[in-house]
Amino acid sequence: MAKKYELNELEVWDGNMAAAQALRQADVDVLAAYPITPSTPIVQNYSKFLADGYVDGDFIMVESEHSAMSGCVAASAAGVRAATATSSQGFALMVEVLYQASGMRLPIVLTVVNRALAAPLNVNGDHSDMYLGRDSGWIQLCSYNPQEAYDLTLMAFKIGEDLNVRLPVMVHQDGFICSHTAQNVYPLQDEEAAKFIGEFKPVNTMLDVANPVTHGVQTEEDWHFEHKARQHNDLMNSFSTIKKVFDEFKDLTGREYDFVYKYKMDDADVAIFALGTTVESARIAADQMREQGIKAGVISLRVFRPFPFNEVAEALKDVKAVATLDRSAPGGTFGALYNEVSAALLAHGKNPVMLNYIYGLGGRDTTIDMLKEVYKELDECAKAGEAKYPLQQFLGLRGPKLAFY
Amino acid sequence: MGKKSLKDIKDVNEIKELGWDELIPGAALFSFTEPVEDVVEVPMDERPYAPTNSHEWQVGDWRVEKPVYNRDLCIDCQFCWVFCPDMSILSRDKKMIGVIYEHCKGCGICVEVCPTNPKSLLMFPEHLDNNEALKMWPKKEEKEK
Amino acid sequence: MVKKIKNLKEFSLSNDRFEGANLMCPGCSHNIIVREVLNATNDPVIVATATGCLEVCTAVYPKTSWDVSWIHIGFENAAVAAATVSAAYEVMKRKGKLPPATQKMVDEGREPKIVAFAGDGGTYDIGFQSLSGAFERGHNFMYVCLDNEVYANTGGQRSSSTPIGASTTTSPAGKVSYGEKMMKKSMVEIMADHGAPYVAQVSPSKWKDLVKKVQKGFEVNGPVYINAQSACTTEWKHAPEDTIEVSDLGVDSCVWPLYEIINERDEHGIIYNTKLNITYRPKNKIPVEEYLAAQPRFRHLFKPENRHIIDLWQKAVDTKWEYLQKREEAGV
Repeated sequence: MAKKYELNELEVWDGNMAAAQALRQADVDVLAAYPITPSTPIVQNYSKFLADGYVDGDFIMVESEHSAMSGCVAASAAGVRAATATSSQGFALMVEVLYQASGMRLPIVLTVVNRALAAPLNVNGDHSDMYLGRDSGWIQLCSYNPQEAYDLTLMAFKIGEDLNVRLPVMVHQDGFICSHTAQNVYPLQDEEAAKFIGEFKPVNTMLDVANPVTHGVQTEEDWHFEHKARQHNDLMNSFSTIKKVFDEFKDLTGREYDFVYKYKMDDADVAIFALGTTVESARIAADQMREQGIKAGVISLRVFRPFPFNEVAEALKDVKAVATLDRSAPGGTFGALYNEVSAALLAHGKNPVMLNYIYGLGGRDTTIDMLKEVYKELDECAKAGEAKYPLQQFLGLRGPKLAFY
Repeated sequence: MGKKSLKDIKDVNEIKELGWDELIPGAALFSFTEPVEDVVEVPMDERPYAPTNSHEWQVGDWRVEKPVYNRDLCIDCQFCWVFCPDMSILSRDKKMIGVIYEHCKGCGICVEVCPTNPKSLLMFPEHLDNNEALKMWPKKEEKEK
Repeated sequence: MVKKIKNLKEFSLSNDRFEGANLMCPGCSHNIIVREVLNATNDPVIVATATGCLEVCTAVYPKTSWDVSWIHIGFENAAVAAATVSAAYEVMKRKGKLPPATQKMVDEGREPKIVAFAGDGGTYDIGFQSLSGAFERGHNFMYVCLDNEVYANTGGQRSSSTPIGASTTTSPAGKVSYGEKMMKKSMVEIMADHGAPYVAQVSPSKWKDLVKKVQKGFEVNGPVYINAQSACTTEWKHAPEDTIEVSDLGVDSCVWPLYEIINERDEHGIIYNTKLNITYRPKNKIPVEEYLAAQPRFRHLFKPENRHIIDLWQKAVDTKWEYLQKREEAGV
């Protein structure tokens, strides 16, 4: 039996420690992992918990991220709680198995510390890895600070393991700015956290010798479509469980989460739509713009997948100009956020000016002043009722202005 | 989760009609319709096979020739049993009983490994009646000196 | 618990846990090996399988050919899958949370055996990293390589197990080529060098030797590697009924020597003795040529310009056989 870890009401943790503590409290049965910057401290912290007697489950330091996720899939199919952590290239190496995990409907939790993808090699935060996972059939939750990384990691288990969901869940936090920045975190005590998450409910466990089950079958053209449809349906319908878990968490902690995060959006004319730690910077920029008389708001996603299509449109229904900030090289088109937010608005008959900013790649700093510039450009567009700037611009880039359309 | 479960279906053909909403999430397949605590104690023909168990299906139509078994010549050595790739030699209490034609693909290994003279298993055209085949059985081969 | 199997008649009392009407080729060795491995024990078995012939032919929706729990994840991860199922089992056992039927088995001394099956592609090539990692970590499982020396499932491409001179679809024999250029990788020694407690090479045609080795493997604590010769009617291009004969030719020519390597370890896991036992000595060691002649994949080697490859083959086989005998004599 694991020792109880005495926690203060207020701890000072970076995002990695926050995620590691949540994994410890979840009493993960098999944690298979491989180190990679900047998520390495999650597994380091976890192995220290193990070394000090705070972990009951098995911790397997495998030889690659591919094996880390494969190990999670096998353990989960065996009927136990499994989790891991990764970033960037490690995430990319896992991709094949991410699809296996979701297709086999295994509620694995993956804490992702977002980092750029090579080449050129870069260890700092952007959202290339998070975007790489967006078609993988996982639920993807976004945090902006260590407290949220902790909260959402606890909730990830409860969401994914719900029998109406049974899908794997990623919890994202930004490399370094969140993962390595110590901030205040109000944790649950171990027994509260365990009670909140609940016991793992095995489904079709391979360990039950009386009920043999076959996992990981082949389906060809006569079956594959139906299985992928079923999977998509259940992912789309996971909103109700996510909402339920958010509500239960609020009852327990007072901390409130919703599919869409909104800051001063009620009367906003212009809005920055961003993910991750940029949300916190954008809040400060919005406040400063409001001092200048510009009704600025910030909108973000708490749930990146499934994409809260209607809620996004609803939150932006009265906004005149929106900047979607994509922190991933868009590879020949607009950023994913731009396309998805535009689709949501168009489908709801809304047509605000939509600008797309590519920013912060490879950990490039995005300052309050830069975000204020974005608001100023949005304000001009809002007042003119049309785009006064190119639809896609690169923000904070050296050299001549790079823009398209 | 779904109106009916794959687990509830008894008829193999009914499976083919299942829609996406009736599938077991994750495409899991089950061997049996009820728990079997110690499967090695239960002979194959007594197991509660699920329609999703390939045992309930057949591949006999792959054959152009079939092995025919001649009980009178068999010494129950079990070579055919151990080397059959398709679990198609029915053996009980150390005795060879016959060929499971639903699962036999006609590879002919059982005939090749049969040590009796003449052989107790021989390949015959698929369409030939087994009794006819038995009437055509060759005589003992004299060893070349 | 070791199953008593004195002879073939006794072995035939086994009730198979691998089912018919799977989609493997007629005469496939894979099936024979899987049967012999599963029937070597009466303990529960849990199987992980790499992508390959066995996987695509035994779990095609909506049919499974397995009466044991089974998982396939990908091509390169059968070892970590089995290893982690093993880890999950150990955790649940320690926590007292095993399903009741499984706990009952454990109480009777019949612990589940966890077995990975993979082809040579999934073992020698793409799955090697995962295999090496799982063996280094020392998980309690058995890894069986169904070695047909070719990527049979994808249409017969060469792997690092393909022996020299074999014509495959990516090392075809042609006007200026005798086929595959490389010697086969020495997988048995490589796995033994991982310090695994038990490593063995087997052939399905020598069923008793195979069963005995599998039983030994099930009894040791730690990872076990079994390299199983798997004559492939489709890619070696012999007739389906000749599978056992071709296997025997491999064994009797010493192309496929049957041996085991035991790393004896103390209670701390330190290896204090390594020994190699040859478990089958052909009464008459037949020329390699007879083995090659039985398989059309080597047909072109019998042309005058390629005969030197047959000579090379014989030399390589004789050298390996001598090496094994020397190791056996020296007890290393």
